Amino acid sequence: MADRQLTFEIFRYNPLKPEVAPYMQTYKLAETTGMTIFVALNMIREEQDPSLMFDFVCRAAICGSCAMVINGRPRLACKTLTNTLPAKIKLFPLPVFKLVGDLSVDTGTWFRYLSEKTESWVHTSKVPDPKIQEERMDNAVANQIYEAERCIECGCCIAGCATANIRDEFLGAAGINRVARFMVDPRDERSFGEYFEIVGSEEGAFGCMGLMACDDNCPMELPLQMQLAYVRRKMAAYGLGYKEKKRIKPA
Amino acid sequence: MLQKVLTKSNKSDLYLDLIELASGLLLVGFLWAHMLFVSTILISQEMFNTLSEFLDTYYLSYVGIPFIIVVALFHFVIAGRRIPTRIQEQRIVWQHAKMLHHFDTWTWVFQTITGMAILMLAAIHVWLVLTGWPINAMNSADRMAAFWWFYLVLLFIGEYHAGFGIYRQFVKWGMFPRKPIGYVAKLITVIIVVLGLAAMVAFVRLGGGA
Repeated sequence: MADRQLTFEIFRYNPLKPEVAPYMQTYKLAETTGMTIFVALNMIREEQDPSLMFDFVCRAAICGSCAMVINGRPRLACKTLTNTLPAKIKLFPLPVFKLVGDLSVDTGTWFRYLSEKTESWVHTSKVPDPKIQEERMDNAVANQIYEAERCIECGCCIAGCATANIRDEFLGAAGINRVARFMVDPRDERSFGEYFEIVGSEEGAFGCMGLMACDDNCPMELPLQMQLAYVRRKMAAYGLGYKEKKRIKPA
Repeated sequence: MLQKVLTKSNKSDLYLDLIELASGLLLVGFLWAHMLFVSTILISQEMFNTLSEFLDTYYLSYVGIPFIIVVALFHFVIAGRRIPTRIQEQRIVWQHAKMLHHFDTWTWVFQTITGMAILMLAAIHVWLVLTGWPINAMNSADRMAAFWWFYLVLLFIGEYHAGFGIYRQFVKWGMFPRKPIGYVAKLITVIIVVLGLAAMVAFVRLGGGA
C-alpha cells in the first residue's frame, strides 16, 4: 500500500484574484504509511506549492477546521486516511460556506449566525451562588446533552445537505441538533413556544427534506436522524396545541 | 423587512408539513390497497368482479375516486413545494447529487421526477378507467392487453414513489433507525410490485394479448 503514487486534483480559486478563473490543479505524491489527507496537503504545500490554501488546527478531529469535500463526500482531512481512497483523489472546498480560497472556507461566520439565531446559551433566571454546590443532573440527561454537544461545527452536515445548498437561511442538522441539546437541558428555562420561534419553520425543523446526508456524513457520527425527528415531533406537538412542561428537576 | 413581517405566520410551515405527511400516507395506503384489490384477479374473475360491484353498489367508488384525486392534487402542490423552481437551484441540486454519491439524495431526486411523471400518467389512467366504466375483469383485461406497456411504467414509478416516500416520512418523523425502516419499505414495495406484475400477466392473458 505504501508504494502507491497518489494523484491529487485540487480545486484552485482565489476570490481576491477574480481574474483567474477557478481551475483544477494536479499534484503527485508518494503515499506513506498512515497518511491522512491532512498530512498529504501539508507535504504538497511544503514541497510543491506554498500558495495552496487549506485550513487545519488540531489534526485530531476536534477542531473541525479541515472539513473539505474528498472524492465527493464532506470529510475531515485529518480523519481521512489515504489508504481508504483510490489513488486518484479529488478535493473541493465545502459548499454553502464562504470561500476563502482553494480548500479554505469560512465556517465561523455561518456558525456564529447559528449560535446567535438559536441563542446557544443556557437561559436561566437563577443567579449562581459560588458558595453552594452545583445542582446535580440526572446522568441519563447529561449523556443526552453530551451526545448532541459533541458537534465540532465542522460543517460537513451543512455541505452535504441539499436544502442548505439552495436555502441560505436553513439552519441544517447542526442548528436543529443545537436546539435539541437545549430542549433536553433542564437548566434551560425556555418554553417550547420559544423553541418553536427558532426552529418551528422551514428555516428549521420543517425545512428538512429527510435526505439524511447529514446523518451519513457526520465525522463525529452524531445521531442526527434521531435528533432531527425528535425536534420535528416536539415542534409539531407544540404547534398542535399539546402543552408540555419541561422535565421537573430533582431537588 | 416589511413584506416578511406582514406575512409571517407562525404555524403555516408546520401545517404544510403535516398535510404533506397526511396526504402522502393516505396515497400510499390507497395505492397499496388498490394493488391488493387489483390482484384479486389472481384468485378468480368472479372475486374481482364481486369486489368491483361491491365498491360500485355502495358508492364507495364515487366517493373514493374524487377524494383520492383531490388528495393527490394537494399532495402534488404541497410536497412539490420542496422542488426548486429556479433553474440555478435545480442545477445546484443535480450537481450536488452527482458529487455526493449518496443513495438517499439520489432517491429524492428521482422522487421529484417520478412525482411529476405520476401526475401525468395517473391522470391518463383515471381517464382510461372512467371512460371505460364500469370496472370489471373483461374491461380491465382489454385495457391491460392494449396498454400493458403504459401500466408497466406506471406500476414501477408509482411503487417507487410510494415506497421511498413512506420511508422518508418515517425517517423524518419516526423514532426508528433508518435501516430497518428501509428494509420494511423495500420488502412491501417488492411484494406489491410482484403482485402487480402477476395481475398484469393475468389480465393480458385474459384479454388475449399474449
